[in-house]
Amino acid sequence: MPVMHFLLMPIRTNKQGVQINVGKDGDEYKTIVSTMTMHPEDMMELGVVSGATIRVRTEIGEAEFQCKEANVPRGMLFVPYGPPTCQLMGGDTDGTGMPTSKGWDVEVEVVEPTPPQLLP
Amino acid sequence: MTCTLGEVKNRADFIIYWGGNPAECHPRHFTRYTLTQKGKFLPRGRKDRTMVLVDIRETMSAKAADIFLQVRPGKDFEMLTILRALVKGQTVSAEAAAETGLTLEQLQDLVNRMKAAKFGVLFFGMGLSMTRGKHMNSAAALILAAELNAYTKFVAMPMRGHGNVTGADVVMRYTFSYPFGISLTRGYPRFNPGEYSTIDLLVRGDNDATLVLGADPGATMPKPAIEHLTRTPTIVLDPKVTHTSRLARVHITTSVAGISAPGTAYRMDEVPMPLRPPLKSPYPSDEEVMKKIVAAVQKKPAWYPVTRTGAQVT
Repeated sequence: MPVMHFLLMPIRTNKQGVQINVGKDGDEYKTIVSTMTMHPEDMMELGVVSGATIRVRTEIGEAEFQCKEANVPRGMLFVPYGPPTCQLMGGDTDGTGMPTSKGWDVEVEVVEPTPPQLLP
Repeated sequence: MTCTLGEVKNRADFIIYWGGNPAECHPRHFTRYTLTQKGKFLPRGRKDRTMVLVDIRETMSAKAADIFLQVRPGKDFEMLTILRALVKGQTVSAEAAAETGLTLEQLQDLVNRMKAAKFGVLFFGMGLSMTRGKHMNSAAALILAAELNAYTKFVAMPMRGHGNVTGADVVMRYTFSYPFGISLTRGYPRFNPGEYSTIDLLVRGDNDATLVLGADPGATMPKPAIEHLTRTPTIVLDPKVTHTSRLARVHITTSVAGISAPGTAYRMDEVPMPLRPPLKSPYPSDEEVMKKIVAAVQKKPAWYPVTRTGAQVT
């Protein structure tokens, strides 16, 4: 499976904010925080379609996400903050008290290029 | 240099959102304070205001903006520095401007509009303060707003996040003089972000117990910090079962502030709002639990020598 490098930007969304108050154990919240949006051409280059499973790795840890195509800049990934992004975040705050929460260099590896429901 | 959101509503004719997506994250911001409201000096509401969005991608907020400027990721500090130079009339090369992903004409146009505004406001979000440059980016944004006051009235305000984060800062500030990253281990407050701030303490493993109030670090903090919370005794006060309560040794269920417990929440402009609970809860409030913990701790003998003469006042 090919490995590609991206810039990961954890973000916040309205639905994520609503689900935080509904409950973080719900399927909807888990889906929101593990769905990563990327440029359609990046997905093509990676050889995946919407719903595919990818593994994202930093020097701190790794987590699996489902990808979804969206109107975002090439070479960048966007995913709402949540427990999966915590696994990728380092603890160094550069003396500011806040860890670098955006703009991580990540490695992306394909786990399942096609979502299970699309397989024959 | 800041103001209240009421002033923004009544006076701000030029609004910049930088590194934030209020359409998603602060959905009432546009309609309550910044864009669509008619103000005392802006009787036509939206028609009297200009909104600029600076971000690395075209978010939902871009649809509400008059001007969208797509800055290259990690180039916010450079863009702010160029804007400061242009405000002072200094020469900037087209190549330097191109580094930010924008043209010199676009940046000069923004500066002209900022200077021509009657009352400008710069709202900045995590896209500015938590990317490369961090506090230096925030400082550059604040300095830009301050320097614009040589030409017009201009203010800056951070787009604060969840519920009552502003309240935590305000209370810490009026109690200890500092907003966060405070150590009381010597009996008086010392402030040093990077040393006494929560994540640094947890990642270094300096503390051997943690009390969590109204937060869910188990679902928000970096992995090394969560691992330390798991290793050491963690006590959580929270109305719900959370990622943190699951890793904690003790979880005390409390009532929900604003729903079943009274209190005060601070708006992002630091205006305090009293919370009047419409419902009753069988659970105690955070305040009641904390008072009981403090009373129990005070009954224990101090581990350090206590002076008998009381504090000296000079």
